[in-house]
Amino acid sequence: MREERHSNPVKIVCEDITKVFIQKGKQRVHVLDHISLDVQENEFVVILGPGQSGKSTLLRIIAGLETPTEGHVLIDGQEVEGPGPERGLVFQGYMLFAWKTVMGNVEMGPKLRGVPKKERREIAAHYIHLVGLDGFEKHYPHQLSGGMKQRVGIARAYANNPKVMLLDEPFGQLDAQTRYFMEKETARIWETEKRTILFVTNNIDEAIYLADRIVTLEGKLPGRMHVAYRVDLPRPREHTDMAFLKLRHEITEASELTL
Amino acid sequence: MVDIANEIKQQVQERRPLTPALILGNRWFLYAISMLAFFLVWDRAAVARVFSSGLPRPYEVVLQLWSMMFDPLAGKSLLGHVWASTQRILIGFTIASLVAVPLGLMMALNRYVNAIVKPLFDLLKPMPPLAWISIAILWFGIGETSKVFIIIIGTFVPCLLDAYNGVRLVEPELYDVIRMLGGKRRHEIIQVCFPAAFPAIFAGLQIALSIAWSCVLAAELVSARSGLGFIIIRGMNLSRPAMIVGGMVVIAIVAWGMSQLVSGLERLVCPWKREIDGR
Amino acid sequence: MAYEQIKVKTPLILRLLPILSIVLFFGTWQMVVDLEIVPSTMMASPIQIFQLFLVKWTEVNPDGALLSQHIWTSVQEAFTGYLLALLVGIPLGLAMGWFVVVEGLSRPIFEMIRPIPPVAWIPLVIFWFGIGISGKIFIIWIGGIVPCVINSYEGVRMTNPTLIQMARTYGATDWQIFKQICVPSALPMVFGALQIALACCWTNLVAAELLAADVGLGFLITMGRKLALPDMVLLGMIMLGLTGVVIGVVINYFEKRLLAGIRR
Repeated sequence: MREERHSNPVKIVCEDITKVFIQKGKQRVHVLDHISLDVQENEFVVILGPGQSGKSTLLRIIAGLETPTEGHVLIDGQEVEGPGPERGLVFQGYMLFAWKTVMGNVEMGPKLRGVPKKERREIAAHYIHLVGLDGFEKHYPHQLSGGMKQRVGIARAYANNPKVMLLDEPFGQLDAQTRYFMEKETARIWETEKRTILFVTNNIDEAIYLADRIVTLEGKLPGRMHVAYRVDLPRPREHTDMAFLKLRHEITEASELTL
Repeated sequence: MVDIANEIKQQVQERRPLTPALILGNRWFLYAISMLAFFLVWDRAAVARVFSSGLPRPYEVVLQLWSMMFDPLAGKSLLGHVWASTQRILIGFTIASLVAVPLGLMMALNRYVNAIVKPLFDLLKPMPPLAWISIAILWFGIGETSKVFIIIIGTFVPCLLDAYNGVRLVEPELYDVIRMLGGKRRHEIIQVCFPAAFPAIFAGLQIALSIAWSCVLAAELVSARSGLGFIIIRGMNLSRPAMIVGGMVVIAIVAWGMSQLVSGLERLVCPWKREIDGR
Repeated sequence: MAYEQIKVKTPLILRLLPILSIVLFFGTWQMVVDLEIVPSTMMASPIQIFQLFLVKWTEVNPDGALLSQHIWTSVQEAFTGYLLALLVGIPLGLAMGWFVVVEGLSRPIFEMIRPIPPVAWIPLVIFWFGIGISGKIFIIWIGGIVPCVINSYEGVRMTNPTLIQMARTYGATDWQIFKQICVPSALPMVFGALQIALACCWTNLVAAELLAADVGLGFLITMGRKLALPDMVLLGMIMLGLTGVVIGVVINYFEKRLLAGIRR
């Protein structure tokens, strides 16, 4: 089910993505089945699905870390052939470099591209400020809380000025309250520096709070597109809003049918 | 609510009565008693000739050590001997790690290197390093070379294993991160592999160090003219138990000191590892 | 989560390389000796070692005993010391982990003994016990007791505190908690100690025998050196390695069988 699109240019195009893994013992695991998805520029799209529905794999394919068995991904019209800084990926397990400070982590991307020290320090400082971690530049990851670590992850991905941001269940390991806080922060960061965002989660509230558009996957392998929802609620959104709760109810009902 | 808070405050402030049970149960008190008893029993046993003059009294040991600081034994003061042993360890260990660590890293990163080296390594690994002493003497004589050689053999295995395991235990997603940030293969290795493997390499240092001590002492026991092992075997040959025990005490102190140094170094270089360990 | 695509076939060369490597190793070794690149007083070839191996099963000279006697003596000494280390070290370590009194009294002594490498005890032991089997067993025992105590201690300290608290709410006594909760919970660490202590004991056996023995694999090595017979030295070394491996395999087998029943 596709809604009408706005007149923004299309940023990401996934055509007929299929992915089959060959596990040990020659067992074939069919993870994704003919997924097609269009994402417009500066749109916030959430891929929603319960665990084991293949959504992380889809994100990794778009990131370029995996290659699809069939189909291809186009970003700005160009096919994705491997990982790269134009797609910023934020990992579920933070994956920070434990031996580098916050500044060291965030400036890693520019550093790999050969940006001179002064310039990359400025870039990193800008994004550290964006995620609200001023004053923590010299801290090491083990000195930070979970929410702060993930903010470093976001800043690190943003520092490369990516065309799209990909977030893979970034708040899955945080407690409920930190999670609410991080959702608000994410919305704020996105409003401040607009970017095309693909956000993967299994949390319905989170999806409705953040998304312009929610794409749900069926709850079992192989992952197939289920229903897409356009979320037109005004921002900032309230979890207790009537419209919010109605949509929530709708999505919950629909997803129960597939489990 | 306020009442409960006050009640708890009161309980905490109440002094626990000083019963004998409390004293006897206190850890530090027991430590003190234990050490006192140890030295007392030692002294009495020495006097009573339990080991028929084979056991020196504690103060005799102290006297012996004191005199060795200033009267040279076979041309070296006590500190000179300490340095002789330490020097051998440092040289042997450095050479071993310079070869073993890169080799271990390469084995973990490259399947072909692994296929060539691992079978040889598995073949040579089960032989205890001390077993090499005799062949080392056969090859290199009784000089410094054979001693350093043993230390190299002994420390080679743990160094290589640590480098190897250190690399294999790196979280594979960290490589994904570097690739997403625009890094190539060489960046994966330099920026991720090395630093992430460091803690494991350090963990093995302690083990390698204790092995190195065993090696150097054993080598010195068999044939040496200097070193801490030399001191204790000399003590045996001269029938001076105070020298033997004194030497053992010095060995214990020096070995402990070096181990602390390595721990300190680890804390300096890898501050994040301690947090993960939870110590 | 990172999925891995498992390659179904290992390239042929990868499977051949290990064999090639070993063949090359032994081949070079054999050639080095045959071509007298190294004098025959310093090195023996694999074939020579194997010949000696065959001979020593029946020939007592020149070291005074059959190969089987050497192996048996070494194994006996190592095992006695090892078992004694287990018998003393493990209960002590377990008790130290739970009972403050035991820890308070034993810890200082243990911490003082611990940094002394077992090798360092050799002269004192010879001075006290002379060159006999009891001295060697003492050294092996000292070497093996340290990992036993440490691992058992850590095993008890790592017991889940929730389990202990739960037992207390049932009114269990200290001894009951120790026996029913701490000890079973520490078993994995204790089993870890079995392997580590064995390796320690085997290494220290070598040390003890190198200096003070008239039979045993370590003695064989020393004799070989004194008589300038490198094939004897190398035979002793290889037998040490082999026997160590075999014993390790045996222990592993027993550990797996025991643990299979206990594993949660």
